[in-house]
Amino acid sequence: MIRFFLREALAESRRMLAGGLWVSCLLLPPALSLAQTNPDLAGRELYRRECARCHGRAGQGVKGKYDDALHGDWSLEKLIRYIGKSMPDDEPGKLSASDTEAVARYINDAFYSREARARNHPARVELVRLTNRQYLNTVADLLNGFLEGAGQKTEESQPGLLGTYYNGRGFRNKIAERTDRQIQFDFGTNAPFPDKTGTNGFSIQWTGSIQVERTGDYEFSVLTPNGTRLWVNDEQKPLIDGSVSSGDFSQHKASVRLLGSRRYPLRLELFKAPKDPKASVVLQWKPPRGSAESIPARSLRPQHIASTFVVTTPFPPDDSSVGYERGTSVSKAWDEATTQAAVEVAGYVLSHLDALSRSKAGATNRMARLQAFGEEFVAAAFRRPLTPAQQRTYITQHFKRPLKPEESLRRIILLALKSPRFLYLGLDGMQRDDFEVASRLSFGLWDSMPDTALFQAARANHLQTAEEVSRQARRMLADGRARAKVRHFLHQWLQVEHVEDLAKDTSLYPGFTPEIISDLRTSLDLFLDDVVWSPASDYRRLLLEDDLYVNQRLADFYGISTNTAEQFVKVSLDPKQRSGVITHPYLLAAFSYQKSSSPIHRGVFLTRNIVGRALKPPPMAVAFKEADFDPTMTMREKVAELTRPQACQTCHSVINPLGFSLEHYDAVGRFRIRDGQRLIDASGDYTTDDGLVVKLNGARDVAEFAVGSEHAQEAFVEQLFHQLVKQPVLAYGPERLEQFRRAFVQSGFNMQQLIVDIVTVAALHHEGRPMARKRS
Amino acid sequence: MNSIRRRDFVRALGLSAASLPFLIGLPSLGLAAPARPRQRLIVMFSPNGTIPDAYWPNEEGPDFQLKEIMTPLAPYRDRMLVLRGVSNKVRGDGDNHMRGMSCLLTGIELFPGNIQGGSHTPAGWASGISIDQELKNYFQSREETRTRFGSLEFGVGVNDKADPWTRMSYAGPNKPIAPISDPYQMYQKLYGQLRDKESLQSILDDVREDLKKVRKLISAEDRRLLEEHEALVRQMEREVASARQQPLRVNPPVLDEGVADQNDNVPRLSRMQIDLLINSFVNDMARVATLQYTKSVGMAKMNWLNISDGHHFLSHEPDKNDEAVSKLTKINQWFCGELSYLVGRLASTPEPGGEGKMLDHTLIVWTNELGKGNSHTLDNIPFLLAGGGFGFKMGRSLRFDKVAHNRLHLALAHGVGHRLETFGKPALCEGGPLNLS
Repeated sequence: MIRFFLREALAESRRMLAGGLWVSCLLLPPALSLAQTNPDLAGRELYRRECARCHGRAGQGVKGKYDDALHGDWSLEKLIRYIGKSMPDDEPGKLSASDTEAVARYINDAFYSREARARNHPARVELVRLTNRQYLNTVADLLNGFLEGAGQKTEESQPGLLGTYYNGRGFRNKIAERTDRQIQFDFGTNAPFPDKTGTNGFSIQWTGSIQVERTGDYEFSVLTPNGTRLWVNDEQKPLIDGSVSSGDFSQHKASVRLLGSRRYPLRLELFKAPKDPKASVVLQWKPPRGSAESIPARSLRPQHIASTFVVTTPFPPDDSSVGYERGTSVSKAWDEATTQAAVEVAGYVLSHLDALSRSKAGATNRMARLQAFGEEFVAAAFRRPLTPAQQRTYITQHFKRPLKPEESLRRIILLALKSPRFLYLGLDGMQRDDFEVASRLSFGLWDSMPDTALFQAARANHLQTAEEVSRQARRMLADGRARAKVRHFLHQWLQVEHVEDLAKDTSLYPGFTPEIISDLRTSLDLFLDDVVWSPASDYRRLLLEDDLYVNQRLADFYGISTNTAEQFVKVSLDPKQRSGVITHPYLLAAFSYQKSSSPIHRGVFLTRNIVGRALKPPPMAVAFKEADFDPTMTMREKVAELTRPQACQTCHSVINPLGFSLEHYDAVGRFRIRDGQRLIDASGDYTTDDGLVVKLNGARDVAEFAVGSEHAQEAFVEQLFHQLVKQPVLAYGPERLEQFRRAFVQSGFNMQQLIVDIVTVAALHHEGRPMARKRS
Repeated sequence: MNSIRRRDFVRALGLSAASLPFLIGLPSLGLAAPARPRQRLIVMFSPNGTIPDAYWPNEEGPDFQLKEIMTPLAPYRDRMLVLRGVSNKVRGDGDNHMRGMSCLLTGIELFPGNIQGGSHTPAGWASGISIDQELKNYFQSREETRTRFGSLEFGVGVNDKADPWTRMSYAGPNKPIAPISDPYQMYQKLYGQLRDKESLQSILDDVREDLKKVRKLISAEDRRLLEEHEALVRQMEREVASARQQPLRVNPPVLDEGVADQNDNVPRLSRMQIDLLINSFVNDMARVATLQYTKSVGMAKMNWLNISDGHHFLSHEPDKNDEAVSKLTKINQWFCGELSYLVGRLASTPEPGGEGKMLDHTLIVWTNELGKGNSHTLDNIPFLLAGGGFGFKMGRSLRFDKVAHNRLHLALAHGVGHRLETFGKPALCEGGPLNLS
């Protein structure tokens, strides 16, 4: 409390200083009325007299009068204008111009503005538990650390799988080997190599790895009238065992959970028995929220890779009410999930113990090996070396009991995974050392635990300076997990993470099939990856680029002339018609109704995420009903009509002009010049938070405005910070956001550089205490 | 005790509904007698046909003498029902071994497929459900007969290969069920959760201590979160403790360690599996079980009987090969000995929470995929019933005239009150359930 008052007083005096009044203030005892000499205090008095009845003494709102707190991002000028015109509610115009200004200034400075709110509720770096994403990744990497070659990036090579062809069905007499881009063959009554294949059937084995982009359940299916087996991310147990072909049953399906931006081993066998009349095979998958398709070549590589353990225990969703997922709360469901997951992990470890501990059951070194493995496991799980006391608690005491060493190890693993030292981040925040820095860095960039190189750097005390930490960050940026995290951020930013159903009215938009939707998603991801991971990593390209990735199916649907077949290629479109992500058909379709565009959804998205303005929930729920309107009206006219009431206009005066600027795109994101019979009007006057009016006409104008707007830049930086660090940026200092923004602009809007800056600052942050420099 | 009562019991302990998933592994407690006497079915399979002369009693009716193969069952002669003249009449794709196996419990044709045997047409899986699974589904559909697993499929020396020679249980068309041959895997399935719970309980103290220590490291504002977490851990501790207070009727059997799943261990594996089976029944985890010795065309080498030839190889020898006949008799007698052990365990174990012994409530069907090994006939399949509870009149040797085995399956279904009109191929059900009462 004392700190709060001090800050308040300091802030107060700074403001007075700015007004040239501080000398008189300091000298006058507070008992004297300051109303005439100090507009701040006059504003406060006026607020208490005229406004507090409905808005509360601290602007917190009053139940039944005006519920919402007075928080927002209007400029002071706009606030003055609004209050002058419409307040107090019962008698607008009651206050003089100078009183209006005084009360608006008071409201703005005391609780309304972002700065005031930050001052009133000082942000801090909070203790958090692992988010679900972090939990899954950490467990996978924890176990991969003990296995050779798991999850590692293989060198770039030709896409496809290595096909080995055999004479006879037994995989013995090899006749050929080649890389097959896709598994989609119809051999008919022939054999793949007729001159080399006898009459005794044939068999084929395809091996390699599969790259997945999204985390979730992948449904694999093998379509064949012949015998087949498929292994995915488990080299012992087949995911699909169709060795016996039986009846008309020729499609085998099974699902497996995989983590995004990782690669997994895959093996497919096909065998044609001599009496099988025909042979054919198609290997398909249905990625999460995708449609079933033959697995594309770009997802396949002929190199083998070791498997990765993926926890299948379901977790309750993380809190994301502040706009990003974070682990600031615990619940019974979560606690139970961590228990069940710990049991699941222990079960996996116990059944793979020989490989993990490099020992055999019953061998004389078994106990020693298991103990060593346990120590390594717990230290990695806690992300720091164990102290001698911890060594006793977590390791040795369990091996002393009259238990089999395997059962002791099971307990150690359960204990480690139920320990707060595993489940929480920042437990050592008060005495930050290099291991804490390493954890912050890896969770910031990867949503996972540090890798071996980072642990080594921590052990050597090489994570002390910004330069050292940035060097690690740049190294880590090249890893698939960083790509996964950045993509996760971009999906959140573009609000495509939770898009469930993009299907449109089939009579109005024939041909907009699940396959097109799936392709659009791929097209968007290819574009995002292209921009972010190019050397310039230029944020402006995200908004201004006129390129679109298409395959032949998309090109045909969107009337783009190109010849590409299954592969995606980048085509340059008319810059008047396309401008970066905001005109990507996937987003345009996502922010549309089934039958028409939705300027409101598009406008809200642009307002919040692209130009970075805060919006309150609508004061009343109004549903858009097509049937309520004259069918000859344009969508623009309908929306203008629907949002005409004054209560709507506070927000829709901002939303609508932005939304209307995308009216050149129909519900599936095709460019159009007419809505019905009428020409599109994509113009609008957008009022900035500083009260300036910007004339917009079309998507490119919005994109260009956003690129040049400090406010929009800041909003982008802030959203990126929150997704990466999962802590409020204000906790890192009031000037921090602006510093990031300026450096971002100076770097030519280099997103990779910004990411490195952000994770470096967050990793080295310390809460007002001198950094502990322990050289051991 | 049925599952409704268990839920009541849980409620009485003051556990919330949310804790139920965690307690699902709880075995039934058997605190009260069941409303209707329990009924259980075990199907035991041994392969490659029998030696008819050393198997079928000469007499019909209650006064019959056990032949050489059946001598191990002498103490239970009164509890046996020998069914001569029951035939597997299913035809269609697949060789006799294949149909013998995959149509044995399904009574319906195989789908066409890619598995080539002998000289017949190739075939795939059976096109219907098997009788053990039919009964399991029937039991599981009723609150009062529902158990944690419903059915358990045990194997002894079944190899890894999945084909129509190795599967007799089917959950439905094209849905073969693989028996579990590794007793340790079965143990994990039955008691893994219990062990996990024990391990969990043993570490919870440490977890709470840990939370306490960690609390000192962090700022006052952050402590709230850890305090909430601690409360959850305490809650879990109470729940695990009360779950542990509900004991199993019997403890899991103590298995010999390191018995590898290989030919020479078959006698030990057999006993381990039977002990697990009995144990799971006492703890009422299932009402149906299958116990499959090797597989059709199984090649077990019974070195423990001083027989080093593969079983299937021997079964092809002609009747005049006395040495082969004698070996095959010994082999079948050994299987019968395992059956006798199973029957004996059931006969000596009191029915949990009920009347009499477990054998009074358990019917065992011992069967084979062929009538005779060297002829590959599907007639006169050796069907031998033992035990009780299905309303059959035991202690008899019956002779039928080539009746379809579908009718025996119907009798089993009717025996538990599941009044099916047909089972498997309808045309083979003419005449309805065999009259065994």
